[in-house]
Order: sequence, then C-alpha cells, then structure tokens
Amino acid sequence: MQHALILIGVLIAGMGLSVEAGLLGPLGEQVGHLSATLSIFMVGALLLSLALVFTPNRQLGTLFKQPRWLLTGGILGPVYVIVLTLATPLVGVGMTMVGILCGQVAASVAIDHFGWLGSEQRRVDGYRVGALAMILAALWLM
Amino acid sequence: MLLPFIFLILLAGGAVLAAQSSINGRLGAKTGVIESAWLTFIMGAVLTFLLMFFFEPAHDATLFSVPKWQLTGALFGVVYMLAIVFAVPRVGTAAATVAVISGQLLMSLLIDHFGWLDNAVRPLDGSRYLAMALLIGAIGLIYLSHQQRHRRMVNQPG
Repeated sequence: MQHALILIGVLIAGMGLSVEAGLLGPLGEQVGHLSATLSIFMVGALLLSLALVFTPNRQLGTLFKQPRWLLTGGILGPVYVIVLTLATPLVGVGMTMVGILCGQVAASVAIDHFGWLGSEQRRVDGYRVGALAMILAALWLM
Repeated sequence: MLLPFIFLILLAGGAVLAAQSSINGRLGAKTGVIESAWLTFIMGAVLTFLLMFFFEPAHDATLFSVPKWQLTGALFGVVYMLAIVFAVPRVGTAAATVAVISGQLLMSLLIDHFGWLDNAVRPLDGSRYLAMALLIGAIGLIYLSHQQRHRRMVNQPG
C-alpha cells in the first residue's frame, strides 16, 4: 500500500515536471536556455537552503564523507540540458523527447536489473517488459 | 549519418537522467532527502552559472525583465527532486522513472487539451485517450512487479 502511495506521489511530481518544461521552453527562447536553466537551479538551491536551515537533525557534514561519485548528481542535470538544447534545433522536439525517454526508461530498468550504482537488484520480469511496451505504445499514439 | 549519431546522444542524455535519479536516491538514503536535493541544486546552479557566464549569447530580455510567473518553474523542479530522492531507495529506479514519465506525458496531454500555459488547444481524441490508458496501465504493471517480487521474497527469504 505504501508502495502505491509513493508511486502516485512520484506521478504527481512528474506532472509538475511537465509544467516546468512548459514554462522553461518559452523562457529559454526569450532569455537564453542556459539562463533559463540557471533560474531553475538558482531558485531551487535558495529555497532548499532555507528549508535546510529549519530541517531537524540535518546531516550536512555526512555529505562530504560519501564516496565522491555519489556527489555527481548535480553535474548530470546540466549535461542533460546541454544535450537537449543542442539536439532540439537539429531533430525537433518530438524526436528529442522520444530519444530521451527511451534512454531514460532503458537505463533505469538496466540499473535495477544489474544493481548498478549501488542500488538494490530488481530483475526484469514480464510485468516490467509489459510496462515498457505500454509506454512505447503511448509515445507512438501521442 | 548524422541522425543515428544524434539519437545515440539523446539516448545517452536519457540514461544520464536515470543515473542521476539513482545516484541522488542513494545519496539521500545515506544523508537525508533535503541534503541530497540541496547539493544537487547547488552543483547545478554553480555549473550552469559558469556555462551561462562564458557561453550564453546576449539576449534582449533577461531573467529580471520577463514576467515573474515565468520564473515559477523551480517550484516544480524542487518538488520533483524531493519526490525522486525519497522514492528511489524505496521503490527502485525503474518504478520511479516510469511513474515520472507517465506523469509528464499525462500532464502534457492535459496541457494540450485545455491549452494551458499559452499553448495551442489540441483536444483529446481516441488515440490520446488510449495513450492515457496505456500510461496508467504501465504504472499498474510496475506495481504488480513489486508485489510479485515481495511475495517471492516472503516465500524464499534470502
């Protein structure tokens, strides 16, 4: 049950992400894509800094005791933005999104299946293959 | 020749997103959800600032001159990051990714249907309703996959 609630929460967060993309695209056209992306990271960093001050039992120090590769999450976001800005004018929004989504879903299933990046192993099964097929079919229908 | 190459780069771009979710989730499980999300946004801001500072061509409009409602995207970004960092250690990268993508696609269908955010209205038709049903079905299957795994682990511990 708890598992289902988490999935619904993430689904709603994903809906928000679409709104973000809808705002970010036109903003990038006006002020530049790097500036638009900076506004997201900057405002987000400031808001989370405020939240951090009032978080009980925060463990900021332990961040820097982790293996260095665990701290690279923040570098990967801008890499994605660069890929997006370079590819969209060349192949169009539709093709770009299909490529990104296929890579994203395939990699996430592979990460779970092989237990890469220190994650718990979750093997590919019939249900997962079915879910992939349904997402691909939905993409094609849209 | 160029097209397959670009598609490979796009696949890699998507893979990078999945890797980011996985890494952030792992970091969050070790240090805390807010801590992990905070570091991600700080690093992102630092890198994007450097890139913008040196590589962005000049534009007429600036972040300070556009209408303020256009700057509210970060609110959604923060909620997303917190949700991912919380969810990935608990449900796995694939389940979280499928849920996020389904949410994104469902919302973009709604945005098109109602013409929100100054978009042209593209009403839902038969194939788009079917797409919505498939997305909801995909989430259901991922949930079933979890249930099945859970049952196996209860039956054969270790």
